[in-house]
Amino acid sequence: MGATVINGKEFAASVREKVAEHVTRLKEDNNITPGLAVVLVGEDPASQVYVRSKGKQTVEVGMNSYEHKLEADTSEEDLLALIAQLNNDPAVHGILVQLPLPDHLDSDLVINAIDPAKDVDGFHISNVGLLGTGQKSMVPCTPLGCLMMLRDHHGSLSGLNAVVVGRSNIVGKPMAQLLLGDSCTVTIAHSRTKDLPSVVRQADIVVAAVGRPEMVIGDWIKPGATVIDVGINRIEAADGKNRLVGDCHYESCAEVAGAITPVPGGVGPMTIACLLANTLTACCRANGLPEPDGLTA
Amino acid sequence: MRAALIDGKSIAAELRSEIAKEASELASKGWQPRLVSISVGDTAASEIYVRNQQRSAESAGVQFEARNYSDDISMEQLVGVLQGLNADPRVNGIIIQRPLPAHIPVKTLQKAVHPLKDVEGMHPASIGNIVYNDLQLGPCTAVAAVELLKTLPLKIEGLDVTVIGHSEIVGKPIAFLLMGLGATVTVCHHMTRSVAMHSRASDAVFVAVGKPGLVTGDMIKPGAALIDIGINRVDGKTVGDAEFETCSEVAGWMTPVPGGVGPVTVAVLMRNAIHATRLQMEAYRDSYANTEV
Repeated sequence: MGATVINGKEFAASVREKVAEHVTRLKEDNNITPGLAVVLVGEDPASQVYVRSKGKQTVEVGMNSYEHKLEADTSEEDLLALIAQLNNDPAVHGILVQLPLPDHLDSDLVINAIDPAKDVDGFHISNVGLLGTGQKSMVPCTPLGCLMMLRDHHGSLSGLNAVVVGRSNIVGKPMAQLLLGDSCTVTIAHSRTKDLPSVVRQADIVVAAVGRPEMVIGDWIKPGATVIDVGINRIEAADGKNRLVGDCHYESCAEVAGAITPVPGGVGPMTIACLLANTLTACCRANGLPEPDGLTA
Repeated sequence: MRAALIDGKSIAAELRSEIAKEASELASKGWQPRLVSISVGDTAASEIYVRNQQRSAESAGVQFEARNYSDDISMEQLVGVLQGLNADPRVNGIIIQRPLPAHIPVKTLQKAVHPLKDVEGMHPASIGNIVYNDLQLGPCTAVAAVELLKTLPLKIEGLDVTVIGHSEIVGKPIAFLLMGLGATVTVCHHMTRSVAMHSRASDAVFVAVGKPGLVTGDMIKPGAALIDIGINRVDGKTVGDAEFETCSEVAGWMTPVPGGVGPVTVAVLMRNAIHATRLQMEAYRDSYANTEV
């Protein structure tokens, strides 16, 4: 196996450390503590785990965490009222509504009710458009994490061929925008792409985000390419136990790639670290302070 | 010459006649579509565009008012003007003509236009909708370029497309519109190592850079479609970004410049005016429905 393993756990820890240092300085110099509000509707077990670890990491970097847990049958009106209240709360710099929402709630409507400046998930239609037009925005956490790892590994990404596999709103599309912003030549491939292996084979950078376990195999990878695996899939292994795998077949890809992110322990840990980075960025912007270096796109 | 020319003029004329029907329908409901164009300072550079838009509006049944403000108007005053137009139910779309004087940043003005009156499709919310695959009011040039591809007997789903140029109002929105239609899109730009490597592998090539002669015949796959969005003046002639002589030998279809994307762009602006008027009518009715009388 030749590939350098990009350790997302360590990298995420270094991002959190940077955030924590900046938070300490904000407190000392400006008497400001960044605050992140997380809204959870219902009792989806996976969402509860996410919300808990988001809250824990928020506190660990010295920020205030505000958790709002609402009943599964909460009305749209009540949820919108809570968001309006958080929008107007100067102690709250970031608002995250944990998705998926129960079926009776329109998630587009709810997300677009968040003040774009506090939309630390970067899903508000205005943030999507601001990113699309190269303006200051809040950038979705997972692709931001991928970008940070790529910049760290390559230095400059300018002129590299990047192939993003998957065109989802939360990963594929913003990832493509970010890579274009860093002057990559970007191809977005997806389920309708005619000859996926040969498209992927041209890439210096492959970002896989399709949610199909081990779909990308080593044979598709150009020797020396960097493989960023965003997929997290639970599959049943030969021994009958469940295990987590990415969208890339790790062993065969690692034989050929120059660098690769493992699953778990690659992109995953970066997502919450970037959520904290976004909250810090939002806090600095809200207070007219310079933004921290290297923590946004 | 091998390539069939894509006749933007006749496609635009067809669009306008459809639009005219919808405009008169809206007018009969009390919602006569009406555009206001705003230019600031010296109008020489934008005059031809304004005149074209005015002419196209007339033949599409859309009212058109061209306003010019002197170049000593402040940003605050202009934003005030826009807020007035945003609030005026008789105005359905606002066009901001470029260039603007240096003290008026265009993006700030575009953001001040109400998203429902953003007929140019430049507001971040309009672009955001495109990225999310929900075309409401798209940037006219990008939408027009994609419209031209749609007139060809090519299945866009699975089509390999290269977009040369990644500007925020043309290249990138074209890429997202095509992706939404199922094409595999590669976006190239000035940092791309080998544009030809990508363009030669593509069934369709869009070029929007503003460099005459950038795309030559040897960069095109035989039989591919070539949509040329560039408008350049060379020796008193208007030419695109593609070298016509060589590309037309190789491509299967090609847009001429002038007479390709340009006329359709103006027609799309009118179609946006109709769509914006309808959105406003619906929003008005919705708000009225919730009012107790």
